Amino acid sequence: MSPLNSSHTPQLVTSEGEIIPDGWTLLDDEDTTGVDGPYVLGFDRALRELDGLNGHYGVRVNPADDVRLLLPFIEKITLIEVAFPGYRDGRGYSTARILREEGYTGAIRAVGDVLRDQLFHMLRCGFNEFLVKDSDPAGAIAAAKTRFTTFYQGAADANRPAWALRHNA
Amino acid sequence: MYVYDSFDHTFVRERNAEFADQVARRLSGELSEDQFKPLRLMNGLYLQLHAYMLRIAVPYGVLSSKQVRKLAHIARTYDRDFGHFTTRQNLQFNWIKLADTPKILEELAEVEMHALQTSGNCIRNTTTDQFAGAARDEHTDPRPWAEVIRQWSSIHPEFTFLPRKFKIAITGAAKDRAAIRVHDIGLHAKPEGFDVYVGGGMGRTPHLGHLIKSSLPGEQLLSYLEAALRVYNRYGRRDNIYKARIKILVSALGPEEYARQVEEEWNTLDKAKIDAPSAEIVRIRSFFPDPVFTDKTFDRVALERAQIADPAFARWVKNNTHAHKRDDHVSVTISLKPVGLPPGDASSAQMDVMADVADQFAYGELRVSHEQNIILPHVAKTDLYELYRQLDAVNLSTANGGKITDMIACPGLDYCTLANARSIPLAQDISQRFADAELTDKIGDLQIKISGCINACGHHHVGHIGILGVDKQGIEFYQILLGGRADEKAALGQITGKGLSAEAVPAAIERVVQLYLKLRTDESERFIDALERLGRDTFAEALHEPA
Amino acid sequence: MKLLTANRLTDGVTLWHTGTGWSEDAAHAARLDDEQADALLTDWKTRETEVVGPYLIPLTPDGNPVQREQVREFIRANGPTIGQTADALSQAHGRADIFES
Repeated sequence: MSPLNSSHTPQLVTSEGEIIPDGWTLLDDEDTTGVDGPYVLGFDRALRELDGLNGHYGVRVNPADDVRLLLPFIEKITLIEVAFPGYRDGRGYSTARILREEGYTGAIRAVGDVLRDQLFHMLRCGFNEFLVKDSDPAGAIAAAKTRFTTFYQGAADANRPAWALRHNA
Repeated sequence: MYVYDSFDHTFVRERNAEFADQVARRLSGELSEDQFKPLRLMNGLYLQLHAYMLRIAVPYGVLSSKQVRKLAHIARTYDRDFGHFTTRQNLQFNWIKLADTPKILEELAEVEMHALQTSGNCIRNTTTDQFAGAARDEHTDPRPWAEVIRQWSSIHPEFTFLPRKFKIAITGAAKDRAAIRVHDIGLHAKPEGFDVYVGGGMGRTPHLGHLIKSSLPGEQLLSYLEAALRVYNRYGRRDNIYKARIKILVSALGPEEYARQVEEEWNTLDKAKIDAPSAEIVRIRSFFPDPVFTDKTFDRVALERAQIADPAFARWVKNNTHAHKRDDHVSVTISLKPVGLPPGDASSAQMDVMADVADQFAYGELRVSHEQNIILPHVAKTDLYELYRQLDAVNLSTANGGKITDMIACPGLDYCTLANARSIPLAQDISQRFADAELTDKIGDLQIKISGCINACGHHHVGHIGILGVDKQGIEFYQILLGGRADEKAALGQITGKGLSAEAVPAAIERVVQLYLKLRTDESERFIDALERLGRDTFAEALHEPA
Repeated sequence: MKLLTANRLTDGVTLWHTGTGWSEDAAHAARLDDEQADALLTDWKTRETEVVGPYLIPLTPDGNPVQREQVREFIRANGPTIGQTADALSQAHGRADIFES
């Protein structure tokens, strides 16, 4: 019997399958921003403070947050952590797509209940970092990237939909 | 009908490989049941009262004879020799083994079928008019659009974990046979574009859809749907499963505000990346030409002679054929509602016969109707009698299309873990009560729809007479609704008085029907017309035993 | 008194606990005392590669499911009440209905 996949400690993996260290610190709302950055700010705090802050920050976006509110400060944001409190909550997919549609090019990281079966959808929606619970995160990324070669709709990734390939559009 | 190209074939194969991997990981223990459940549901696999149930997608209800033979083969090989056609124009098998599912999906892929998105909180099978492409009153063929939507919605990466399931229906005829106003999105395809209705649905809190957009150009349909789904994905409720359907969001925001948000979202989208180009729509449309109609001349006299000689055939022609766009053809309803048997069930032998007659008389094409019958969309009138005789030999000639015994019923407590009460045995009892052909014909068009619980899979809200099973301390009771309809004059039925026991229901319905026969102006006034003229209360009283 | 039932993972078939193992036939289900039933349920809930969705059915003193569960458990034990699709298993065992309907 294999161990349950969610029993594995989450590891941070990029869309290229590279395991990377997490250099970011998620700040509680009371914590001050010192010299030990980089910091990830909560969503409301980011909205309140980013205007007056210098440098680059990460922002944690929960499912109910309207990510478009961050657009005025987007130049200061290099990481957006999109939280998946439960794996059936799919709001984060829209969050990522909106960010990419608005031209955000920084990191979009999926955190929370992230399992290998979601990676395919996340990659297509524009995520490029994943804090995934799996025994083999790099293998999970590789599987998600090779599982499908046909796509029926345009999304945030470079894959062209079947209609575009059929008509060379 | 649509024929897969290499992209479509590859896609289904890849999806099947993914699911086979998920099944293997569940069997090995790497996936818990909690994790596996949403994954198996997205491939139509439920665990029911007695076993697994596999729901197979029949996109917009269209089947070829070859596909029907494959379904018969699966029924024989992997199940208990029968299948159940559903109100979603799909087919389900009730006794499937988890370990067999990858193999079954492989077999389905051979005939361009799958079980994708037949359950789960994703975009489900788009349903449509069972007479599409054949009906005389059709102005736009909805099938190419349903196929465009099928492809767009297949493993849509953004909309696979919606707040709740999402059902789209589309019609292209004056008479709405697709019940578009009780779907999450209902589309009316017209020559000038689509009318878009949103927020209809049945279940615990039934709503009729609201018109939020008119004359939407077909070339922009997908981007508009994408915007509509995105607003729902972001703002639909996720705290309460009973309030998670889009109808609740639309009713909380108001249709105007919801429409405004969709419009705003739509304007932000890069439509060229989402909307399939006209060339693709032309390509898809090219798969839905008329068949090469037979040049056999229609012998009207021979048909009339056969009807006189065989009154049962005459009844079948009257009740089970539908006006075709060509004078020498009709569409035929093969009733899966024989008296006393479960609505929507067909044995593998019956499926094989349906496939054979489709090849012989119907250009190889069949449909599943949301009334749980099989349709042969194009049949030359000259062939009707021979077709009838072959169907009659396997108990498929019941002449009750649209009549009181042509009931819709969900599987109910006999199979379903969600149900509160049985549906099928009640449908059987009612059909026995009205077994008399003469009485059935006298009553005329009357739709009874039975659901075994509030989820309303049996569409009880839109039955002329709706029946809802409830559970009162372990005893099954049935609430009767009157006055619902799912057509272009869609209305929701109202619950009338106290629930009845299963034994009391057939007699109660008979009292209502007898009252209707007494009060109708003449034979042309259908039950639903009389009910709307005289009011529900007139009939509600008759439901309950006179003191 | 309670019964323990579940579905087998591989084929979904309804199972009944006999006190020592599982049977496909509800006629072999053991009337478990509450303590034993709870312990078995706890154990089987963790054995997810074998069974799915184990649960207890409370019984009245005469051995039938309590009224709230009566119809559902009767059908679960005996198969669908529909002639055409009657549970082949209960027929194969040639036994009377397990619970009074």
